[in-house]
Amino acid sequence: MTLRTCSYENELTQALKNGHWPEGCGPELRAHVDACGSCGDLVLVTRTFQRARSESEHVALCGSSSLLWWRAQLRRRNAATERVSRPITIAQTFALFVNVFVGIVFVASQYRHGLHWASWWSALAPLRALHSLPIGSGQIDWNLLLLVSGFGVLALLSLVVVYLASEKS
Amino acid sequence: MRKTDTTGAYAIPNVETRVASRTDELPMDSDAFAGFYQRSAPALRAYLARVSGNPTLADDLMQESYLRFLCASRPEGGEVNYRRYLYRIATNLLRDHWKRPRAACLEDVPEQFLAARDGLSRIDSQAILDPALARMRPRERQLLWLAHAEGYSHREISEITGLSAAGIRLLLFRARRKIARLLRKQIDADRGNT
Repeated sequence: MTLRTCSYENELTQALKNGHWPEGCGPELRAHVDACGSCGDLVLVTRTFQRARSESEHVALCGSSSLLWWRAQLRRRNAATERVSRPITIAQTFALFVNVFVGIVFVASQYRHGLHWASWWSALAPLRALHSLPIGSGQIDWNLLLLVSGFGVLALLSLVVVYLASEKS
Repeated sequence: MRKTDTTGAYAIPNVETRVASRTDELPMDSDAFAGFYQRSAPALRAYLARVSGNPTLADDLMQESYLRFLCASRPEGGEVNYRRYLYRIATNLLRDHWKRPRAACLEDVPEQFLAARDGLSRIDSQAILDPALARMRPRERQLLWLAHAEGYSHREISEITGLSAAGIRLLLFRARRKIARLLRKQIDADRGNT
């Protein structure tokens, strides 16, 4: 299909847009429209669509503007709240990953040295703990203290992360 | 033919945008919006209903268009630019709707919607336009409505739809010839019946 542009097209488009067609147009343009198929199409299509548009102005609308305005305000505030809480979410995710990483490293390091869970358990027993206190023995069992404190910190951090995650959800 | 920026949203050239100074406040107060809504909503609804062929969908998309319009950073330059921006949002929503796999495809919108389910079709001039529109593709309806009902230039339609101005010129030329032929047939048929 070849695209042929009529020299009168711009003038005619402007006249139609401004509502000057046909009364406000000269006889030369009107005679041209009668003879030119492309301009005839333009007039027919534009006037039909313009009528359809002007008739649609009288159709009742659903929904009130004030309701839309309040919904938009609510949506905008929710978006703002989400933006503000995004760093907290990132920090929570980061903390979770750090915890998991520390846990994996800890288990891996212990696995390399051999897992002596039975001896740990007996070391954790209250009597043994009391016995190993520096007050009684005069020596500090650093391995045991590190192990217990490590587990304690890990458990505490995990609890905090779980709490924050559940609060968020 | 289509031009998009990196975010996938269509860019409006030569229209400056601004971000609202406070994120929890809308950039337009309730009264100003009410006036703008009253002036622009009927035309926007007509556009969405005619192009989608589904008045219910048109109502939904119209409300979503206004919500997004209010929440987004609006272009400066007054109501003319607001309207163009609103049409751009509505056009993007229409395209998103058509792209959704569960929804009807762009080319498969039931054409009988155009004639049967919209209250506008009872009006006489619509009786001529509706059957002709029903035989047009949605993209053609979109371009024809923007060009001939709204009076937008090729450049403005390009900004709204994201298509190139040269492409719009060709598509519009073909669509106009096609619908003019259909309208003439319809008018002749109506004359034959009376």
